[in-house]
Amino acid sequence: MTSSDGRDLSSDPSHRSPDQLDLDLILVGDAADRDAFRRIFTAMAPKLKAFLINTGQSPQEAEEILQDTMLKVWRKATLFDRSKSAGSTWIYSIAKNARIDRIRKETKPAPDPDDPSFVQDAPETGEQSLNRRQDQKRIQLAMSTLPSEQMKIINMSFFEDKSHAEISEELNLPLGTVKSRIRLAFGKIRAELERNQ
Amino acid sequence: MTLKHHISDDTLLAYVNGTLAETLSVVVATHLAICPQCRKHMDLMLSVGSIYLDQSKPVELSSNELDLCDEIMLSPQEKPSTVHRQSLNTAADPIRSIPKPLSDLLPCDIDDIPWKKLVPGMSHYPLKGHANSDGKGALRLLKISPGMTLPEHSHSGQELTLILRGSYIDEVGRFAAGDISDLDDSLHHQPVADTDKDCICLIATDAPLKFKGFFSRMLQPLIGI
Repeated sequence: MTSSDGRDLSSDPSHRSPDQLDLDLILVGDAADRDAFRRIFTAMAPKLKAFLINTGQSPQEAEEILQDTMLKVWRKATLFDRSKSAGSTWIYSIAKNARIDRIRKETKPAPDPDDPSFVQDAPETGEQSLNRRQDQKRIQLAMSTLPSEQMKIINMSFFEDKSHAEISEELNLPLGTVKSRIRLAFGKIRAELERNQ
Repeated sequence: MTLKHHISDDTLLAYVNGTLAETLSVVVATHLAICPQCRKHMDLMLSVGSIYLDQSKPVELSSNELDLCDEIMLSPQEKPSTVHRQSLNTAADPIRSIPKPLSDLLPCDIDDIPWKKLVPGMSHYPLKGHANSDGKGALRLLKISPGMTLPEHSHSGQELTLILRGSYIDEVGRFAAGDISDLDDSLHHQPVADTDKDCICLIATDAPLKFKGFFSRMLQPLIGI
């Protein structure tokens, strides 16, 4: 596999395009394509392991959560909907919940789209779903506009998996300040995304 | 009528990250089931999180972990959903049918709940076994008769309320079916059921409430919220 500028991408899976990940997930979902799953595994498992260890899991826990996550990716690829989320976001969400379920030893309460009480999303226009797929770059751009005091808290939430109370203690800030900075940060990200549409 | 009051971003982030108390998570999940807007906000948070995953510097896998790939492919895949996705709920009546995260915890239909009277005009139904792992906080249904005022109170922790039937007004605004009220310790409030129907809500806390007046404080052990 080569990119448009001729570089060999197959040797460095971390440089594969997000679209390739989406296509591989579709191949796994539609046709149980083993080569596609191997590509997903090779690209994502080493990152997932790094992410889990960074957020405080022991190597043993990281391996268990990695297994739970990749097993769910294989089993649930049939449910992956590219118009709803990017492949990397979909996998991240599975990993996140696998981690929470391991720690809590029970399943986190979550809405079920097959529940007859569930209110479905309004149908999206083609442009909206295209925007959604380009989200990662646009979100990164929007995040670059955040003041450092807000960015710090977002980093601690996502990269260190800290609770609001832990952040408040560590930064010696009132809990209300931590919460209001989170609200300001996401308000700003959404406003930037809308402005750049 | 559409939903007016939503989950605040700090609560949603705690839910996404799994740091929100179990009792509060039930209320969030129930509102998410009927609120595409809050789900969109949650998806944004997951997209932000996936950037952190993407930027993680890959580490080498153990031989055990490398073997997982082939082992996993021996297991069967799930069948795609064949459920015809048409909701029993509508924009005009967003929570007529109770979503699963809550209905799975109820012993019966919402209209047949065996209410326990607290004081005239106010009854409750604690959802037993749904305290948090630290033993603090509670999850319960509360029924308030029309015109009834709840004792003025504030919170030592967080309180999430989801309106299931009827409506109420407090210092923040008017809350109708499907709306969520997301309060933390900064606010004193005093909700009043403001229509001719009973107001039924789902209330979760992660710490005991603080009541303001003397009589209200006497009430506290009775209510236990």
